[in-house]
Amino acid sequence: MGSSVTIAHYILMLQGMLWTIGLSLMGFVGGTIVGLPIAIGRISQSKALRRSLGLYIALIQGIPLPILMFLCYFGISVAGFNVPALVAAGMAMTAYASAYLAEIWRGSLQSVPKAQWEAAECLALTRLQRMVHVILPQAVKISIPPTIGFLVQIVKNTSYAVVIGFAELTYTARLINNSTFKPFVVFTVAAVLYFAICFPLSHFSRRLERKLKRA
Amino acid sequence: MKRFIAATLLAATSLVATMAHADSLADIKKAGTIRVAIDLGAPPYGQLDEAGKPAGSDVEAANELAKDLGVKLEIVPVSGPNRVPFLLTNKADVVMASFSITDERKKVIDYSDPYGVVPTVVGAPKSQALPDFASLAGKTIAVTRGTTSDQALTKGAKEVGGVNIVRYEDDATTNTAVATGQQDLIAAAASVVAQVNRANPSRDLEIKFVMSSAPYAIGIRKNEAELKAWLDQWIKSKIASGELNTIYKKHFGIELPAEYRGK
Repeated sequence: MGSSVTIAHYILMLQGMLWTIGLSLMGFVGGTIVGLPIAIGRISQSKALRRSLGLYIALIQGIPLPILMFLCYFGISVAGFNVPALVAAGMAMTAYASAYLAEIWRGSLQSVPKAQWEAAECLALTRLQRMVHVILPQAVKISIPPTIGFLVQIVKNTSYAVVIGFAELTYTARLINNSTFKPFVVFTVAAVLYFAICFPLSHFSRRLERKLKRA
Repeated sequence: MKRFIAATLLAATSLVATMAHADSLADIKKAGTIRVAIDLGAPPYGQLDEAGKPAGSDVEAANELAKDLGVKLEIVPVSGPNRVPFLLTNKADVVMASFSITDERKKVIDYSDPYGVVPTVVGAPKSQALPDFASLAGKTIAVTRGTTSDQALTKGAKEVGGVNIVRYEDDATTNTAVATGQQDLIAAAASVVAQVNRANPSRDLEIKFVMSSAPYAIGIRKNEAELKAWLDQWIKSKIASGELNTIYKKHFGIELPAEYRGK
């Protein structure tokens, strides 16, 4: 019975860490692709569009992430499609990230001073031109800290994929702990690995913020 | 939220349960692979060995099963709470995960004949005298939610009253709580008590009394007559040859009850 943590176990945890990074990327990229149009739609002139996107956000934000994972994994199977755990987890992360990123970005867009909109309008720019050339560049600056902050959340929340047996870092650490009974070693290593992903992100966010402030 | 998860699972599983199923045995043979759901976080049934590979009594039995069926073994890692959904949503062909037979589970899935038993016990430090359920009154005891130990404890404690049951999400968390001294009393499978002692010898736990002895079997989807017949025959022959007892002895250090030992 394995009672010590071996090199092979550490390698397994590093593999789990790669899956955690992969899942985070899926969440962030998917969340951006889905979330950005929603953010822009949320400030559109159409009331119906604003309302229905608001409903989507309220719905996703109102469902705990593990339930989203369950729904994507087992729910879709019930409908007759066999989705691998990675795809299901990626879908759940995408839905989850898109709802939060959309709200973060909507807030950033709306916190660009109204005078900027009006000034752009006076220059006879179309709504699209105003958005692309005037509002978005300023909104990006505002959105960096909360976006990176949420990215760190995404990384940590990938651990919910444990409920569908996806072999990310937390799941791997749990398995190894169950077999070796060295919780302090195993979970300390897992914590260090999570930190190794998240700290550079926060650091990068601070640097980017400083750089944009100067620009 | 736990209730929410349970409700979602139940909704999902009952939907699938209503779908009649095809002949899994033929499907398995056609695919050349049997997908066996095993809990790799439940030593000594399923665990990771020093090389990080699956090991344990269920893993060994599943290997034998695949060999005798003439197909490759694909282990689908599951945990206690998601064993049934994995089976029902066809993410595994069979479940061999120290899968005790319970009436609730029988409503949605079928079982083969049993191939082993899980004795569930109450463990505590040697210094405490706990001969029976009555002595648990006013005490706090740790258990993993939804396991047969949980059921046996809940049933036994109901008659006593005043027992504070703390339910953890999986065995590792329960064991860690006891090994680190957060909890003194544990209700679990007999093998767990020895493991906690290994993790932290200063706890000095011992088995106080046996709550129940639960047979476990291979879980299959409903309406799988061919598969069930094959599995029952396989288990019968493995009990007769003594192979199941050999595997059990190797991992548990004790023999199976007489009726599982063969000649």
